[in-house]
Amino acid sequence: MRLAVSVSPHIKAGYDTPWVMRQVIYALMPAFLASLYFFRQDALFVILNCVVTSVATEEIISRIRKKPSPIKDGSAVLTGILLAFVLPPSIKWYGASLGAIFAILVGKHLFGGLGNNIFNPALAGRAFLMAAFPKMMTTWSEPFSLQAITEATPLALRKFDHILTPVSHLFLGTTSGCIGETSSLVLILGGVYLIVRKVADWRIPLSMIATVSFISSVFYLVNPINGSVLFHLFGGGFMLGAFFMATDPVTTPVSKTGRFVFGISCATLVMIIRYFSGLPEGVMYSILFMNAFTPLIDKIFKQKSFGAIGAIRRKKHER
Amino acid sequence: MIHVEERKLPQHEIPIERFFSVKRLYLFLSQHTGKPSKLLVNKGDYLEESSLIAEGDGLISSSLSSPVEGKVKDIVFFNHPVLKKDTAVVVDAEGCSPKAYSFDKEADFLKREDLLNKIKHAGIVGMGGAAFPTHVKLSPPKRIDTLIVNGCECEPYLSCDYRLMVEKCEEVFKGVELICRIVSPQRVIFAIEENKPEAIKKFNSVISTKKYSLPQQKLAILPSYYPQGGEKQLIYALTKRRVPLGGLPFDVGCLVHNVGTIFAIYEAVYYNKPLIERVITFAGGALREPKNLLLKLGTTIAELFEEGILSFKEEPVKIVYGGPMMGIALKGLNYPVMKGTSGVLFLTRKEVDLREESVCIRCARCVDACPMGLLPLEFVKKVKNEEYSSLEDFYIKDCIECGACSFTCPAKIPIVHYIKVGKKYAVSS
Repeated sequence: MRLAVSVSPHIKAGYDTPWVMRQVIYALMPAFLASLYFFRQDALFVILNCVVTSVATEEIISRIRKKPSPIKDGSAVLTGILLAFVLPPSIKWYGASLGAIFAILVGKHLFGGLGNNIFNPALAGRAFLMAAFPKMMTTWSEPFSLQAITEATPLALRKFDHILTPVSHLFLGTTSGCIGETSSLVLILGGVYLIVRKVADWRIPLSMIATVSFISSVFYLVNPINGSVLFHLFGGGFMLGAFFMATDPVTTPVSKTGRFVFGISCATLVMIIRYFSGLPEGVMYSILFMNAFTPLIDKIFKQKSFGAIGAIRRKKHER
Repeated sequence: MIHVEERKLPQHEIPIERFFSVKRLYLFLSQHTGKPSKLLVNKGDYLEESSLIAEGDGLISSSLSSPVEGKVKDIVFFNHPVLKKDTAVVVDAEGCSPKAYSFDKEADFLKREDLLNKIKHAGIVGMGGAAFPTHVKLSPPKRIDTLIVNGCECEPYLSCDYRLMVEKCEEVFKGVELICRIVSPQRVIFAIEENKPEAIKKFNSVISTKKYSLPQQKLAILPSYYPQGGEKQLIYALTKRRVPLGGLPFDVGCLVHNVGTIFAIYEAVYYNKPLIERVITFAGGALREPKNLLLKLGTTIAELFEEGILSFKEEPVKIVYGGPMMGIALKGLNYPVMKGTSGVLFLTRKEVDLREESVCIRCARCVDACPMGLLPLEFVKKVKNEEYSSLEDFYIKDCIECGACSFTCPAKIPIVHYIKVGKKYAVSS
């Protein structure tokens, strides 16, 4: 009889890390289909490009580092899809490829690989492209047309031309914008799936949505041209950010209070950038910025243990 | 707290079966929490059933009596599930008829001190698994207002407590009555998980007759969560009191006893029968028939197979001493059962999880699962980086090693293993 001897527990939950990654990929499928519908082959090419480049980069790096291939875990595929979703459909092929290489190489592996990265790799890739190819990153296409024109996004129209795009267009996604971010409807569908399956924690998306709603309603009451609550919730990359970027477990806090703090801070930053900065949109920067604060948040909002709370209560009682 | 598949069928519905015709027993001097018992016999000595083999040594210790009539064959170092190897008294059974224990009519008039002495002499320890000497627990330095009878049995597979509650319900109530005479609480709460309907029915009907002289009594039906039966979780669920860090239940005026222990108290007081046998669940997919066996302490698992009491349907890949969440993996069959053994599981490849550890993705499932409100992933990180001194800042001592974190980890990180290592070094540094 050959017996396995290992530490308890001896039974474990059926799922594993690849399962978690797959769930996120499934949740992104409605947005994927929507992107194909709105931006046709442009979207398909960018997504394929990003996914293939991400996976290839991951494989090459793990061979150089002489580590077992992490392809199976699905995290590189996910990073590729997420990166493509935050790029404009008309981006040049080398732009998308460089973004994917940067995301995996610098965003992920320079920090030590899966689980150790401080910044969301997909957003790091986008930030790199914003700095390297600002023109390419701000050339937008009208949905269905595939013609790359310097068409402004709804958030830019609000900011610079004081034109408000109808909320219904933002909700359905018939506006210009990044490949996967335009349709809030499909992103909410995917996000709800993640939360229902307990793959993503509800605290971060909920606190982000609540905060944006609160701030934008105050500003809307001051002046309607600031945009309504729904305009800010459905506009730009907010839903993609709230449900898929800010819920990336690796780069966000682990304690329950910490998650609320993270969500509220992210959303506040988004609104500050949207209202007061020179940029029309700030979801990417605010999430990256808060990623850097994750260790600090975890430290400050470290939860007290069951027994520690008990000890505090006993002291109060004795007094 | 987490949901774990119960896997309690079919053993849940199988009545307790006794097996006393054992040939050789291995009795450890260390089968409880605390100092090992002091040996009183020599090689070659003749023993009567229930005669003392070893006595408690010091404040926290326990005595040990012979489960059978027989001879001390030897005193050896034998396979111990926790201590690897430890001193055991080998007893060869010789008697042909088991001893008859008669009802002690005086028991109802015994004073608190006499009751405690009887329990101490009987060598009773907590039978839920921790094996803490019961007479110590029954003499708390603070006043107890709530006595909790623990019939949760939240570990999957195990059914020994459930069978005892169903088959020895009245005896358990008599035992509770005795404990009330010792610690005089203001209320008694019987805690049973909702997946034990038969036990709930029986306890409910006994409570409604009010034939036992107990203080205010209540049956609490708890949802089946793991680890609902953990002492601190149970106290919190029933009273909303939190046992403070480093504290014990009496710090919040509570006393928790497992139904198995209570039954042992009943037998010790009313029949002068020391703790020499107990009910143990034998289950798992590798067994042809799972069973709840009433066994003499010291019976080896190997002997149960030799005698045909148990048999394999297929080869197990893991044998677990205790429940699947907190039990210990054994290296073979040559291990005896002890006072704290609640079950022995023979698990097949389909039932155990042997997937390899991968990297932590900080998903925080362990944080959400931890019943003690800890950050298990931080322990893993700190132990891997050998930063042992900061472990205390994360309240590592509050960890009850229930295994809920490892269970939910998608990266299959053996978190409990890292915590055990961390506890060892956190203490020494």
